[in-house]
Amino acid sequence: MTATRYKKIERGKPISIMVNGEAIEAFHGESIAAAMLASGRRAFRHTVKGKQARGFFCGMGMCFDCIATVDGVPHVRTCMTEVSPDCVVELE
Amino acid sequence: MFEKPEQTDIAIIGAGPAGVAAAVTAAHAGAQVTLLDESPRAGGQYYKQPALDAKDKQFPPTVAENIRKGRELLSDLQHSNINFQHSTLVWNVLPEERILNLYGPQGAQNLQAKRIIIAAGAYERVTPFTGWTKPGVTTVGGAQLLLKSQGLKIGQRLLLAGTGPLLQLAAVQFMEAGMEVAAILELQSRKEFLLKAPKLWGHWDKLGQGMANQKRLLEAGIPFKFGYTVAEATGDEEVNGAVIMKVNGKGIPVLGSEETIEVDTICLNYGFAPAVELARVAGCTMVFDKYFGSFAIETNENLETSVNAFFVAGETRGIGGVEVALLEGKLAGAIAGSQLGFTPKVDESNLRKEQQQARKAVAALGTMFPLKSGLCKLVKDEVPVCRCEEVTAGEVRRAIEMGVTQLNQLKPWTRVGMGRCQGRICGGILNQMLADETGVSISEIQPFTSRAPIKPVPMESVGGGDDSGEFTWEDHVGYGAART
Ligand SMILES: Cc1cc2nc3c(=O)[nH]c(=O)nc-3n(C[C@H](O)[C@H](O)[C@H](O)COP(=O)(O)OP(=O)(O)OC[C@H]3O[C@@H](n4cnc5c(N)ncnc54)[C@H](O)[C@@H]3O)c2cc1C
Repeated sequence: MTATRYKKIERGKPISIMVNGEAIEAFHGESIAAAMLASGRRAFRHTVKGKQARGFFCGMGMCFDCIATVDGVPHVRTCMTEVSPDCVVELE
Repeated sequence: MFEKPEQTDIAIIGAGPAGVAAAVTAAHAGAQVTLLDESPRAGGQYYKQPALDAKDKQFPPTVAENIRKGRELLSDLQHSNINFQHSTLVWNVLPEERILNLYGPQGAQNLQAKRIIIAAGAYERVTPFTGWTKPGVTTVGGAQLLLKSQGLKIGQRLLLAGTGPLLQLAAVQFMEAGMEVAAILELQSRKEFLLKAPKLWGHWDKLGQGMANQKRLLEAGIPFKFGYTVAEATGDEEVNGAVIMKVNGKGIPVLGSEETIEVDTICLNYGFAPAVELARVAGCTMVFDKYFGSFAIETNENLETSVNAFFVAGETRGIGGVEVALLEGKLAGAIAGSQLGFTPKVDESNLRKEQQQARKAVAALGTMFPLKSGLCKLVKDEVPVCRCEEVTAGEVRRAIEMGVTQLNQLKPWTRVGMGRCQGRICGGILNQMLADETGVSISEIQPFTSRAPIKPVPMESVGGGDDSGEFTWEDHVGYGAART
Protein backbone atom coordinates (compact mmCIF):
# COMPACT_ATOMS: atom_id res chain seq x y z
CA MET A 1 0.00 0.00 0.00
CA THR A 2 1.51 3.34 -0.98
CA ALA A 3 -1.02 6.02 -0.06
CA THR A 4 -2.56 5.87 3.40
CA ARG A 5 -5.02 7.98 5.35
CA TYR A 6 -3.46 10.07 8.11
CA LYS A 7 -4.60 8.20 11.18
CA LYS A 8 -5.14 11.10 13.58
CA ILE A 9 -8.02 12.48 11.55
CA GLU A 10 -11.49 11.37 12.54
CA ARG A 11 -13.49 10.91 9.39
CA GLY A 12 -16.88 9.75 10.54
CA LYS A 13 -18.65 6.77 9.03
CA PRO A 14 -17.27 5.35 5.79
CA ILE A 15 -19.38 5.21 2.66
CA SER A 16 -18.72 2.97 -0.26
CA ILE A 17 -18.24 3.85 -3.89
CA MET A 18 -17.90 1.54 -6.88
CA VAL A 19 -14.72 1.56 -8.94
CA ASN A 20 -14.82 -0.76 -11.94
CA GLY A 21 -17.45 -2.87 -10.23
CA GLU A 22 -15.53 -3.15 -6.97
CA ALA A 23 -16.70 -1.44 -3.76
CA ILE A 24 -14.08 0.73 -2.07
CA GLU A 25 -14.22 2.66 1.17
CA ALA A 26 -14.49 6.45 1.10
CA PHE A 27 -15.34 9.26 3.51
CA HIS A 28 -17.57 12.28 3.26
CA GLY A 29 -15.71 15.16 1.59
CA GLU A 30 -12.98 13.00 0.06
CA SER A 31 -12.10 13.37 -3.60
CA ILE A 32 -12.56 10.33 -5.81
CA ALA A 33 -8.81 10.44 -6.50
CA ALA A 34 -8.00 10.33 -2.77
CA ALA A 35 -10.38 7.41 -2.19
CA MET A 36 -8.89 5.46 -5.10
CA LEU A 37 -5.32 6.14 -3.92
CA ALA A 38 -6.22 5.06 -0.37
CA SER A 39 -7.67 1.83 -1.75
CA GLY A 40 -4.26 1.00 -3.19
CA ARG A 41 -4.94 2.01 -6.77
CA ARG A 42 -2.40 4.30 -8.40
CA ALA A 43 -3.04 3.64 -12.09
CA PHE A 44 -6.33 5.43 -12.81
CA ARG A 45 -6.40 4.93 -16.56
CA HIS A 46 -4.42 3.92 -19.63
CA THR A 47 -3.77 6.35 -22.46
CA VAL A 48 -5.49 5.88 -25.81
CA LYS A 49 -2.40 6.14 -27.97
CA GLY A 50 0.45 4.64 -25.94
CA LYS A 51 -1.60 2.46 -23.54
CA GLN A 52 0.45 3.95 -20.71
CA ALA A 53 -0.74 4.03 -17.11
CA ARG A 54 -1.58 7.41 -15.61
CA GLY A 55 -2.70 8.49 -12.17
CA PHE A 56 -2.77 11.41 -9.78
CA PHE A 57 -0.32 14.08 -10.99
CA CYS A 58 -1.04 17.81 -10.41
CA GLY A 59 -3.81 17.48 -7.83
CA MET A 60 -5.33 20.84 -8.77
CA GLY A 61 -7.37 20.18 -11.86
CA MET A 62 -4.99 21.32 -14.54
CA CYS A 63 -3.34 18.20 -15.97
CA PHE A 64 -6.37 15.97 -16.69
CA ASP A 65 -4.29 12.84 -16.03
CA CYS A 66 -6.60 11.58 -13.29
CA ILE A 67 -9.81 11.57 -15.36
CA ALA A 68 -12.35 8.77 -15.16
CA THR A 69 -15.98 8.18 -16.08
CA VAL A 70 -18.11 9.14 -13.08
CA ASP A 71 -21.81 8.26 -13.01
CA GLY A 72 -21.74 7.93 -16.76
CA VAL A 73 -20.01 11.26 -17.45
CA PRO A 74 -16.70 10.64 -19.21
CA HIS A 75 -13.34 12.38 -18.52
CA VAL A 76 -14.19 13.78 -15.09
CA ARG A 77 -11.22 15.05 -13.05
CA THR A 78 -11.23 12.75 -10.02
CA CYS A 79 -8.99 15.11 -8.01
CA MET A 80 -11.64 17.85 -8.28
CA THR A 81 -14.71 15.68 -7.73
CA GLU A 82 -15.95 14.65 -4.32
CA VAL A 83 -17.31 11.18 -3.61
CA SER A 84 -21.03 10.76 -3.16
CA PRO A 85 -22.78 7.71 -1.73
CA ASP A 86 -23.33 5.15 -4.48
CA CYS A 87 -21.20 6.95 -7.02
CA VAL A 88 -19.97 4.75 -9.79
CA VAL A 89 -16.53 5.20 -11.25
CA GLU A 90 -15.42 3.47 -14.42
CA LEU A 91 -11.77 3.65 -15.34
CA GLU A 92 -10.91 4.73 -18.87
CA MET B 1 -27.24 31.62 -27.78
CA PHE B 2 -26.85 32.98 -24.23
CA GLU B 3 -29.46 33.95 -21.70
CA LYS B 4 -29.55 37.44 -20.22
CA PRO B 5 -26.62 37.68 -17.80
CA GLU B 6 -26.85 38.17 -14.04
CA GLN B 7 -25.48 41.53 -12.84
CA THR B 8 -22.90 42.38 -10.20
CA ASP B 9 -20.62 45.32 -9.36
CA ILE B 10 -17.37 43.41 -9.16
CA ALA B 11 -16.73 39.87 -10.39
CA ILE B 12 -13.66 38.16 -8.99
CA ILE B 13 -12.19 35.03 -10.53
CA GLY B 14 -10.35 32.86 -8.01
CA ALA B 15 -11.02 32.48 -4.29
CA GLY B 16 -7.37 32.13 -3.28
CA PRO B 17 -5.74 34.65 -0.94
CA ALA B 18 -5.77 37.36 -3.63
CA GLY B 19 -9.40 36.88 -4.70
CA VAL B 20 -10.69 36.58 -1.15
CA ALA B 21 -8.83 39.71 -0.01
CA ALA B 22 -10.22 41.59 -3.01
CA ALA B 23 -13.77 40.39 -2.35
CA VAL B 24 -13.69 41.30 1.34
CA THR B 25 -12.19 44.75 0.73
CA ALA B 26 -14.66 45.62 -2.01
CA ALA B 27 -17.63 44.26 -0.03
CA HIS B 28 -16.70 46.27 3.06
CA ALA B 29 -16.56 49.36 0.85
CA GLY B 30 -20.16 48.64 -0.12
CA ALA B 31 -19.85 46.98 -3.53
CA GLN B 32 -21.81 43.90 -4.56
CA VAL B 33 -19.27 41.18 -5.22
CA THR B 34 -19.52 37.84 -6.98
CA LEU B 35 -16.58 35.57 -6.18
CA LEU B 36 -16.07 32.55 -8.44
CA ASP B 37 -13.91 29.48 -8.02
CA GLU B 38 -13.90 26.14 -9.77
CA SER B 39 -12.93 24.36 -6.54
CA PRO B 40 -15.60 23.12 -4.16
CA ARG B 41 -14.14 25.38 -1.42
CA ALA B 42 -12.55 28.81 -1.04
CA GLY B 43 -8.90 29.14 -0.05
CA GLY B 44 -6.93 28.69 -3.25
CA GLN B 45 -3.72 26.71 -3.12
CA TYR B 46 -2.02 28.16 -0.07
CA TYR B 47 -5.08 28.31 2.15
CA LYS B 48 -6.64 25.11 0.85
CA GLN B 49 -9.12 23.96 3.49
CA PRO B 50 -9.80 20.37 4.52
CA ALA B 51 -12.54 18.69 2.56
CA LEU B 52 -13.18 16.37 5.52
CA ASP B 53 -15.22 17.21 8.60
CA ALA B 54 -12.04 17.14 10.66
CA LYS B 55 -10.67 19.37 13.39
CA ASP B 56 -7.51 21.38 12.66
CA LYS B 57 -5.56 19.89 15.50
CA GLN B 58 -5.90 16.44 13.98
CA PHE B 59 -3.62 17.56 11.13
CA PRO B 60 0.18 17.67 11.35
CA PRO B 61 1.16 20.90 13.19
CA THR B 62 2.50 22.95 10.24
CA VAL B 63 -0.51 22.06 8.12
CA ALA B 64 -2.91 22.76 10.98
CA GLU B 65 -1.43 26.22 11.46
CA ASN B 66 -1.87 26.97 7.77
CA ILE B 67 -5.47 25.74 7.77
CA ARG B 68 -6.27 27.90 10.80
CA LYS B 69 -4.86 31.07 9.27
CA GLY B 70 -6.74 30.38 6.08
CA ARG B 71 -10.00 29.89 7.91
CA GLU B 72 -9.60 33.21 9.67
CA LEU B 73 -9.28 34.95 6.33
CA LEU B 74 -12.18 33.03 4.84
CA SER B 75 -14.56 33.83 7.69
CA ASP B 76 -14.87 37.35 6.25
CA LEU B 77 -16.53 35.86 3.16
CA GLN B 78 -19.75 35.67 5.20
CA HIS B 79 -20.29 39.38 4.42
CA SER B 80 -23.75 39.90 2.97
CA ASN B 81 -22.38 41.74 -0.07
CA ILE B 82 -20.43 38.68 -1.19
CA ASN B 83 -21.97 36.00 -3.34
CA PHE B 84 -19.50 33.11 -3.47
CA GLN B 85 -20.11 30.57 -6.22
CA HIS B 86 -17.94 27.51 -5.74
CA SER B 87 -17.42 24.63 -8.20
CA THR B 88 -17.90 27.22 -10.92
CA LEU B 89 -15.44 27.50 -13.79
CA VAL B 90 -15.11 30.76 -15.69
CA TRP B 91 -14.42 29.41 -19.15
CA ASN B 92 -14.64 32.54 -21.25
CA VAL B 93 -14.77 36.34 -21.03
CA LEU B 94 -16.25 38.89 -23.40
CA PRO B 95 -14.09 41.93 -22.63
CA GLU B 96 -16.18 44.67 -24.20
CA GLU B 97 -19.45 43.60 -22.59
CA ARG B 98 -17.60 42.56 -19.41
CA ILE B 99 -19.46 39.27 -19.45
CA LEU B 100 -18.13 36.06 -17.94
CA ASN B 101 -19.29 32.67 -19.20
CA LEU B 102 -19.58 30.26 -16.30
CA TYR B 103 -20.11 26.56 -15.91
CA GLY B 104 -21.13 25.27 -12.50
CA PRO B 105 -23.66 23.26 -10.51
CA GLN B 106 -26.51 25.08 -12.27
CA GLY B 107 -25.00 24.41 -15.67
CA ALA B 108 -24.10 27.27 -17.99
CA GLN B 109 -24.57 30.83 -16.71
CA ASN B 110 -23.46 34.32 -17.66
CA LEU B 111 -22.44 37.14 -15.38
CA GLN B 112 -21.99 40.79 -16.25
CA ALA B 113 -19.86 43.02 -14.02
CA LYS B 114 -18.75 46.62 -13.91
CA ARG B 115 -15.25 45.61 -12.85
CA ILE B 116 -13.51 42.25 -13.17
CA ILE B 117 -10.57 41.09 -11.04
CA ILE B 118 -8.70 38.00 -12.22
CA ALA B 119 -6.84 36.26 -9.40
CA ALA B 120 -6.41 32.86 -11.03
CA GLY B 121 -3.21 31.83 -9.24
CA ALA B 122 -0.39 29.79 -10.69
CA TYR B 123 0.62 26.33 -11.86
CA GLU B 124 3.58 24.29 -10.79
CA ARG B 125 6.43 23.93 -13.23
CA VAL B 126 7.84 20.49 -13.93
CA THR B 127 10.40 18.99 -16.29
CA PRO B 128 10.19 15.63 -18.06
CA PHE B 129 12.49 12.62 -17.71
CA THR B 130 12.28 8.92 -18.43
CA GLY B 131 9.23 7.48 -16.66
CA TRP B 132 7.78 10.83 -15.51
CA THR B 133 4.26 9.90 -16.63
CA LYS B 134 4.13 6.81 -14.38
CA PRO B 135 1.66 6.73 -11.51
CA GLY B 136 3.73 7.66 -8.47
CA VAL B 137 5.26 10.76 -10.03
CA THR B 138 3.33 13.84 -8.91
CA THR B 139 3.88 17.52 -8.30
CA VAL B 140 5.02 18.59 -4.83
CA GLY B 141 2.01 20.88 -4.48
CA GLY B 142 -0.32 18.08 -5.56
CA ALA B 143 1.01 15.81 -2.82
CA GLN B 144 0.77 18.71 -0.37
CA LEU B 145 -2.84 19.39 -1.33
CA LEU B 146 -3.68 15.72 -0.76
CA LEU B 147 -2.39 16.07 2.78
CA LYS B 148 -4.00 19.45 3.48
CA SER B 149 -7.37 18.87 1.97
CA GLN B 150 -7.76 15.08 2.12
CA GLY B 151 -5.58 14.07 5.07
CA LEU B 152 -3.94 11.57 2.75
CA LYS B 153 -0.30 10.57 2.80
CA ILE B 154 0.66 10.09 -0.82
CA GLY B 155 3.42 7.53 -0.25
CA GLN B 156 5.64 5.78 2.23
CA ARG B 157 9.04 6.90 0.96
CA LEU B 158 9.32 10.06 -1.11
CA LEU B 159 11.87 11.78 -3.29
CA LEU B 160 11.41 15.54 -3.75
CA ALA B 161 13.09 17.14 -6.74
CA GLY B 162 13.10 20.59 -8.30
CA THR B 163 14.12 24.01 -7.14
CA GLY B 164 12.97 26.57 -4.61
CA PRO B 165 11.62 26.91 -1.09
CA LEU B 166 8.48 24.81 -1.56
CA LEU B 167 10.62 21.65 -1.54
CA GLN B 168 11.74 22.24 2.03
CA LEU B 169 8.41 23.42 3.33
CA ALA B 170 6.61 20.43 1.83
CA ALA B 171 9.28 18.05 3.10
CA VAL B 172 8.70 19.29 6.65
CA GLN B 173 4.96 18.76 6.29
CA PHE B 174 5.37 15.28 4.80
CA MET B 175 7.76 14.38 7.60
CA GLU B 176 5.36 15.61 10.28
CA ALA B 177 2.66 13.43 8.77
CA GLY B 178 4.92 10.40 9.07
CA MET B 179 6.06 10.00 5.48
CA GLU B 180 9.71 9.21 4.98
CA VAL B 181 11.57 11.72 2.81
CA ALA B 182 14.44 9.80 1.19
CA ALA B 183 16.12 12.92 -0.21
CA ILE B 184 15.55 16.43 -1.51
CA LEU B 185 17.20 17.31 -4.81
CA GLU B 186 17.78 21.02 -5.40
CA LEU B 187 18.74 22.01 -8.93
CA GLN B 188 20.93 24.94 -7.85
CA SER B 189 24.46 24.17 -6.68
CA ARG B 190 25.52 25.00 -3.14
CA LYS B 191 27.91 27.61 -4.54
CA GLU B 192 25.21 29.39 -6.54
CA PHE B 193 22.98 29.28 -3.53
CA LEU B 194 25.54 30.87 -1.22
CA LEU B 195 26.52 33.48 -3.81
CA LYS B 196 22.93 34.58 -4.29
CA ALA B 197 21.79 34.32 -0.68
CA PRO B 198 22.91 37.88 0.20
CA LYS B 199 20.16 39.12 -2.13
CA LEU B 200 17.75 38.10 0.58
CA TRP B 201 19.59 40.33 3.04
CA GLY B 202 17.04 42.48 4.82
CA HIS B 203 14.12 40.19 3.97
CA TRP B 204 14.44 38.49 7.31
CA ASP B 205 11.14 36.67 7.34
CA LYS B 206 11.87 34.87 4.07
CA LEU B 207 15.38 33.99 5.17
CA GLY B 208 14.10 32.94 8.58
CA GLN B 209 11.39 30.64 7.27
CA GLY B 210 13.80 28.92 4.91
CA MET B 211 16.44 28.44 7.58
CA ALA B 212 13.95 27.06 10.08
CA ASN B 213 12.77 24.47 7.57
CA GLN B 214 16.31 23.59 6.57
CA LYS B 215 17.30 23.14 10.20
CA ARG B 216 14.46 20.73 10.85
CA LEU B 217 15.36 18.67 7.81
CA LEU B 218 19.00 18.61 8.82
CA GLU B 219 18.12 17.47 12.31
CA ALA B 220 15.97 14.72 10.89
CA GLY B 221 18.94 13.60 8.79
CA ILE B 222 17.24 14.08 5.44
CA PRO B 223 19.80 14.34 2.64
CA PHE B 224 19.56 17.73 0.92
CA LYS B 225 21.46 17.43 -2.34
CA PHE B 226 22.45 20.64 -4.10
CA GLY B 227 23.12 20.45 -7.84
CA TYR B 228 21.10 17.27 -8.36
CA THR B 229 18.05 16.29 -10.33
CA VAL B 230 15.97 13.21 -11.00
CA ALA B 231 16.85 11.46 -14.24
CA GLU B 232 14.49 8.49 -14.29
CA ALA B 233 11.48 7.03 -12.54
CA THR B 234 11.90 3.27 -12.47
CA GLY B 235 9.27 0.55 -12.14
CA ASP B 236 7.12 -1.46 -14.53
CA GLU B 237 3.82 0.34 -14.47
CA GLU B 238 4.24 2.35 -11.28
CA VAL B 239 7.17 4.01 -9.56
CA ASN B 240 9.43 1.80 -7.44
CA GLY B 241 12.57 3.92 -7.50
CA ALA B 242 14.50 6.76 -9.04
CA VAL B 243 17.78 7.40 -10.78
CA ILE B 244 19.27 10.71 -9.67
CA MET B 245 22.11 12.68 -11.28
CA LYS B 246 24.37 15.63 -10.65
CA VAL B 247 23.89 18.63 -12.90
CA ASN B 248 26.32 21.41 -13.80
CA GLY B 249 25.63 25.16 -13.55
CA LYS B 250 23.61 25.13 -16.78
CA GLY B 251 21.48 22.27 -15.57
CA ILE B 252 23.19 19.77 -17.89
CA PRO B 253 23.39 16.31 -16.31
CA VAL B 254 26.88 15.03 -15.49
CA LEU B 255 27.27 11.62 -17.10
CA GLY B 256 28.53 8.93 -14.78
CA SER B 257 27.03 10.55 -11.67
CA GLU B 258 23.93 8.35 -11.67
CA GLU B 259 22.76 6.85 -8.39
CA THR B 260 19.68 4.77 -7.77
CA ILE B 261 17.42 5.29 -4.83
CA GLU B 262 14.45 3.28 -3.64
CA VAL B 263 11.26 5.33 -3.32
CA ASP B 264 7.59 4.76 -4.10
CA THR B 265 6.77 8.39 -4.91
CA ILE B 266 8.60 11.19 -6.73
CA CYS B 267 7.36 14.76 -6.24
CA LEU B 268 8.43 17.56 -8.60
CA ASN B 269 8.39 21.33 -8.31
CA TYR B 270 10.51 23.70 -10.37
CA GLY B 271 8.72 26.80 -9.18
CA PHE B 272 5.50 28.24 -10.59
CA ALA B 273 4.10 29.87 -13.70
CA PRO B 274 1.19 32.35 -13.56
CA ALA B 275 -2.23 31.20 -14.78
CA VAL B 276 -2.71 33.77 -17.51
CA GLU B 277 -5.15 32.06 -19.91
CA LEU B 278 -8.35 33.84 -18.95
CA ALA B 279 -6.70 37.27 -18.89
CA ARG B 280 -5.23 36.52 -22.30
CA VAL B 281 -8.61 35.52 -23.68
CA ALA B 282 -9.77 38.95 -22.47
CA GLY B 283 -6.92 40.46 -24.48
CA CYS B 284 -4.72 41.59 -21.57
CA THR B 285 -1.12 42.33 -22.52
CA MET B 286 1.55 40.06 -21.07
CA VAL B 287 4.96 40.89 -19.70
CA PHE B 288 7.97 38.61 -19.21
CA ASP B 289 8.80 38.34 -15.52
CA LYS B 290 12.58 38.12 -15.53
CA TYR B 291 12.77 37.20 -11.86
CA PHE B 292 10.74 34.03 -12.24
CA GLY B 293 11.37 33.37 -15.94
CA SER B 294 7.71 33.25 -16.92
CA PHE B 295 5.06 35.33 -18.66
CA ALA B 296 2.62 37.23 -16.46
CA ILE B 297 -0.09 39.83 -17.00
CA GLU B 298 1.04 43.44 -17.23
CA THR B 299 -0.62 46.14 -15.11
CA ASN B 300 -0.14 49.73 -14.06
CA GLU B 301 0.41 50.50 -10.36
CA ASN B 302 -3.36 50.34 -9.81
CA LEU B 303 -3.23 46.69 -10.94
CA GLU B 304 -5.30 47.59 -14.00
CA THR B 305 -4.50 45.56 -17.12
CA SER B 306 -4.37 46.85 -20.68
CA VAL B 307 -8.08 46.02 -21.02
CA ASN B 308 -10.56 48.53 -19.62
CA ALA B 309 -12.22 47.45 -16.32
CA PHE B 310 -10.02 44.33 -15.95
CA PHE B 311 -7.64 43.99 -12.98
CA VAL B 312 -5.27 41.18 -12.04
CA ALA B 313 -3.87 40.38 -8.58
CA GLY B 314 -1.65 37.76 -6.96
CA GLU B 315 0.16 35.06 -8.91
CA THR B 316 -1.53 35.93 -12.20
CA ARG B 317 0.34 39.24 -12.07
CA GLY B 318 3.64 37.43 -11.54
CA ILE B 319 4.76 34.84 -9.02
CA GLY B 320 4.66 36.47 -5.60
CA GLY B 321 3.53 34.07 -2.90
CA VAL B 322 0.87 34.47 -0.32
CA GLU B 323 1.76 37.89 1.19
CA VAL B 324 1.87 39.58 -2.19
CA ALA B 325 -1.40 37.89 -3.12
CA LEU B 326 -3.14 39.21 -0.01
CA LEU B 327 -1.84 42.75 -0.47
CA GLU B 328 -2.64 42.90 -4.17
CA GLY B 329 -6.08 41.47 -3.60
CA LYS B 330 -6.82 44.22 -1.09
CA LEU B 331 -5.43 46.86 -3.41
CA ALA B 332 -7.37 45.68 -6.45
CA GLY B 333 -10.57 45.38 -4.41
CA ALA B 334 -10.11 48.89 -3.01
CA ILE B 335 -9.35 50.52 -6.36
CA ALA B 336 -12.11 48.73 -8.24
CA GLY B 337 -14.49 49.71 -5.43
CA SER B 338 -13.53 53.38 -5.40
CA GLN B 339 -13.82 53.54 -9.21
CA LEU B 340 -17.45 52.59 -8.74
CA GLY B 341 -18.00 55.33 -6.15
CA PHE B 342 -17.62 53.26 -2.98
CA THR B 343 -15.34 54.19 -0.10
CA PRO B 344 -12.84 51.46 0.78
CA LYS B 345 -11.85 51.21 4.44
CA VAL B 346 -8.14 50.84 3.72
CA ASP B 347 -5.27 53.26 3.35
CA GLU B 348 -4.50 52.92 -0.33
CA SER B 349 -1.10 54.60 -0.39
CA ASN B 350 0.14 52.61 2.57
CA LEU B 351 -1.12 49.43 1.00
CA ARG B 352 0.64 50.23 -2.25
CA LYS B 353 3.91 50.81 -0.40
CA GLU B 354 3.62 47.45 1.40
CA GLN B 355 2.74 45.70 -1.84
CA GLN B 356 5.74 47.10 -3.66
CA GLN B 357 8.06 46.09 -0.81
CA ALA B 358 6.64 42.58 -0.74
CA ARG B 359 7.12 42.27 -4.51
CA LYS B 360 10.75 43.30 -4.15
CA ALA B 361 11.45 40.68 -1.50
CA VAL B 362 9.91 37.96 -3.62
CA ALA B 363 11.82 39.03 -6.73
CA ALA B 364 15.04 38.49 -4.79
CA LEU B 365 13.87 35.00 -3.91
CA GLY B 366 12.90 34.25 -7.52
CA THR B 367 16.32 34.96 -8.94
CA MET B 368 17.80 32.41 -6.56
CA PHE B 369 15.93 29.50 -8.11
CA PRO B 370 15.94 29.75 -11.91
CA LEU B 371 14.85 26.87 -14.10
CA LYS B 372 17.72 25.75 -16.33
CA SER B 373 17.20 24.75 -19.92
CA GLY B 374 20.22 22.42 -19.76
CA LEU B 375 17.85 19.99 -18.04
CA CYS B 376 16.39 19.30 -21.50
CA LYS B 377 19.57 17.38 -22.35
CA LEU B 378 18.29 14.78 -19.92
CA VAL B 379 15.15 14.17 -21.91
CA LYS B 380 15.59 11.16 -24.19
CA ASP B 381 13.92 11.24 -27.60
CA GLU B 382 11.34 8.62 -26.66
CA VAL B 383 10.08 10.50 -23.57
CA PRO B 384 6.65 12.09 -23.98
CA VAL B 385 6.83 15.83 -23.31
CA CYS B 386 3.15 16.55 -24.00
CA ARG B 387 1.36 14.23 -21.59
CA CYS B 388 -2.07 14.66 -23.18
CA GLU B 389 -1.21 13.94 -26.80
CA GLU B 390 1.81 11.77 -25.95
CA VAL B 391 4.13 13.72 -28.22
CA THR B 392 7.75 12.71 -27.63
CA ALA B 393 10.82 14.89 -27.19
CA GLY B 394 12.14 13.36 -30.43
CA GLU B 395 9.12 14.53 -32.41
CA VAL B 396 9.55 18.03 -30.99
CA ARG B 397 13.26 18.04 -31.79
CA ARG B 398 12.56 16.98 -35.42
CA ALA B 399 10.16 19.91 -35.76
CA ILE B 400 12.74 22.30 -34.33
CA GLU B 401 15.33 20.93 -36.78
CA MET B 402 12.86 21.72 -39.57
CA GLY B 403 12.92 25.36 -38.50
CA VAL B 404 10.14 25.73 -35.93
CA THR B 405 11.01 28.52 -33.48
CA GLN B 406 7.71 29.27 -31.69
CA LEU B 407 5.30 27.19 -29.60
CA ASN B 408 2.29 27.96 -31.78
CA GLN B 409 4.16 26.59 -34.81
CA LEU B 410 4.89 23.37 -32.97
CA LYS B 411 1.17 22.68 -32.55
CA PRO B 412 0.17 21.80 -36.11
CA TRP B 413 3.45 19.88 -36.58
CA THR B 414 3.22 17.69 -33.55
CA ARG B 415 -0.15 18.21 -31.77
CA VAL B 416 1.65 19.39 -28.61
CA GLY B 417 -0.58 21.49 -26.40
CA MET B 418 -3.71 20.38 -28.21
CA GLY B 419 -4.96 18.03 -25.54
CA ARG B 420 -7.16 18.59 -22.53
CA CYS B 421 -4.65 20.51 -20.44
CA GLN B 422 -4.20 22.94 -23.32
CA GLY B 423 -0.47 23.13 -22.90
CA ARG B 424 -0.55 24.13 -19.24
CA ILE B 425 1.96 21.40 -18.41
CA CYS B 426 3.99 21.17 -21.61
CA GLY B 427 4.02 24.89 -22.48
CA GLY B 428 6.80 25.72 -20.05
CA ILE B 429 8.70 22.56 -20.95
CA LEU B 430 8.57 23.28 -24.69
CA ASN B 431 9.65 26.82 -24.00
CA GLN B 432 12.79 25.46 -22.33
CA MET B 433 13.33 22.92 -25.13
CA LEU B 434 13.10 25.58 -27.82
CA ALA B 435 15.51 27.76 -25.86
CA ASP B 436 17.89 24.82 -25.37
CA GLU B 437 17.84 23.68 -29.01
CA THR B 438 17.91 27.11 -30.69
CA GLY B 439 19.80 29.23 -28.17
CA VAL B 440 17.02 31.82 -28.20
CA SER B 441 16.14 33.39 -24.84
CA ILE B 442 12.88 32.10 -23.32
CA SER B 443 11.61 35.67 -23.09
CA GLU B 444 11.56 35.68 -26.93
CA ILE B 445 9.41 32.57 -27.17
CA GLN B 446 5.72 33.38 -27.02
CA PRO B 447 3.52 31.05 -24.95
CA PHE B 448 0.73 29.06 -26.62
CA THR B 449 -2.26 31.19 -27.62
CA SER B 450 -5.08 30.91 -25.06
CA ARG B 451 -8.57 30.14 -26.31
CA ALA B 452 -11.98 29.66 -24.82
CA PRO B 453 -13.21 27.40 -23.41
CA ILE B 454 -10.07 27.56 -21.29
CA LYS B 455 -10.90 24.16 -19.82
CA PRO B 456 -13.17 21.45 -21.21
CA VAL B 457 -16.87 22.13 -20.59
CA PRO B 458 -19.89 20.21 -21.82
CA MET B 459 -20.77 20.90 -25.42
CA GLU B 460 -24.12 22.47 -24.71
CA SER B 461 -22.57 25.22 -22.58
CA VAL B 462 -20.43 26.47 -25.43
CA GLY B 463 -23.59 26.68 -27.45
CA GLY B 464 -22.88 23.97 -29.96
CA GLY B 465 -23.35 20.29 -30.66
CA ASP B 466 -25.87 18.06 -28.97
CA ASP B 467 -26.85 17.97 -25.33
CA SER B 468 -25.28 14.64 -24.49
CA GLY B 469 -23.36 16.38 -21.68
CA GLU B 470 -20.11 14.77 -22.77
CA PHE B 471 -17.03 16.40 -21.36
CA THR B 472 -14.85 16.18 -24.38
CA TRP B 473 -12.20 18.48 -25.60
CA GLU B 474 -11.45 17.44 -29.15
CA ASP B 475 -14.99 18.06 -30.35
CA HIS B 476 -15.11 21.65 -29.21
CA VAL B 477 -15.85 24.05 -31.98
CA GLY B 478 -13.01 26.08 -33.35
CA TYR B 479 -10.14 24.37 -31.66
CA GLY B 480 -7.59 22.58 -33.78
CA ALA B 481 -8.14 19.63 -36.03
CA ALA B 482 -10.16 16.60 -35.09
CA ARG B 483 -8.17 13.71 -33.64
CA THR B 484 -7.45 11.21 -36.34
C1 LIG C 1 -0.30 23.20 -5.67
C2 LIG C 1 0.27 24.46 -5.07
C3 LIG C 1 0.80 24.46 -3.76
C4 LIG C 1 1.31 25.63 -3.20
N1 LIG C 1 1.82 25.61 -1.94
C5 LIG C 1 2.35 26.76 -1.43
C6 LIG C 1 2.89 26.79 -0.12
O1 LIG C 1 2.92 25.79 0.58
N2 LIG C 1 3.43 27.97 0.33
C7 LIG C 1 3.43 29.12 -0.42
O2 LIG C 1 3.89 30.19 0.03
N3 LIG C 1 2.90 29.11 -1.63
C8 LIG C 1 2.39 27.97 -2.16
N4 LIG C 1 1.90 27.98 -3.42
C9 LIG C 1 1.95 29.25 -4.16
C10 LIG C 1 0.58 29.86 -4.08
O3 LIG C 1 0.09 29.92 -5.39
C11 LIG C 1 0.50 31.24 -3.44
O4 LIG C 1 1.22 31.37 -2.28
C12 LIG C 1 -0.94 31.70 -3.14
O5 LIG C 1 -1.84 30.64 -2.99
C13 LIG C 1 -1.33 32.61 -4.25
O6 LIG C 1 -2.60 33.11 -4.10
P1 LIG C 1 -3.52 33.49 -5.34
O7 LIG C 1 -4.78 34.00 -4.75
O8 LIG C 1 -2.76 34.38 -6.25
O9 LIG C 1 -3.75 32.15 -6.14
P2 LIG C 1 -4.36 30.73 -5.71
O10 LIG C 1 -4.26 30.48 -4.27
O11 LIG C 1 -3.75 29.74 -6.63
O12 LIG C 1 -5.90 30.86 -6.08
C14 LIG C 1 -6.38 30.91 -7.38
C15 LIG C 1 -7.77 30.32 -7.39
O13 LIG C 1 -8.38 30.63 -8.64
C16 LIG C 1 -9.17 29.57 -9.06
N5 LIG C 1 -9.33 29.70 -10.51
C17 LIG C 1 -8.35 29.89 -11.43
N6 LIG C 1 -8.85 30.00 -12.65
C18 LIG C 1 -10.20 29.89 -12.53
C19 LIG C 1 -11.28 29.93 -13.46
N7 LIG C 1 -11.06 30.13 -14.76
N8 LIG C 1 -12.53 29.76 -12.99
C20 LIG C 1 -12.75 29.56 -11.66
N9 LIG C 1 -11.78 29.54 -10.74
C21 LIG C 1 -10.51 29.69 -11.17
C22 LIG C 1 -8.43 28.34 -8.60
O14 LIG C 1 -9.31 27.24 -8.45
C23 LIG C 1 -7.83 28.81 -7.28
O15 LIG C 1 -8.62 28.45 -6.18
C24 LIG C 1 1.34 26.81 -3.97
C25 LIG C 1 0.81 26.79 -5.26
C26 LIG C 1 0.30 25.65 -5.83
C27 LIG C 1 -0.20 25.69 -7.24
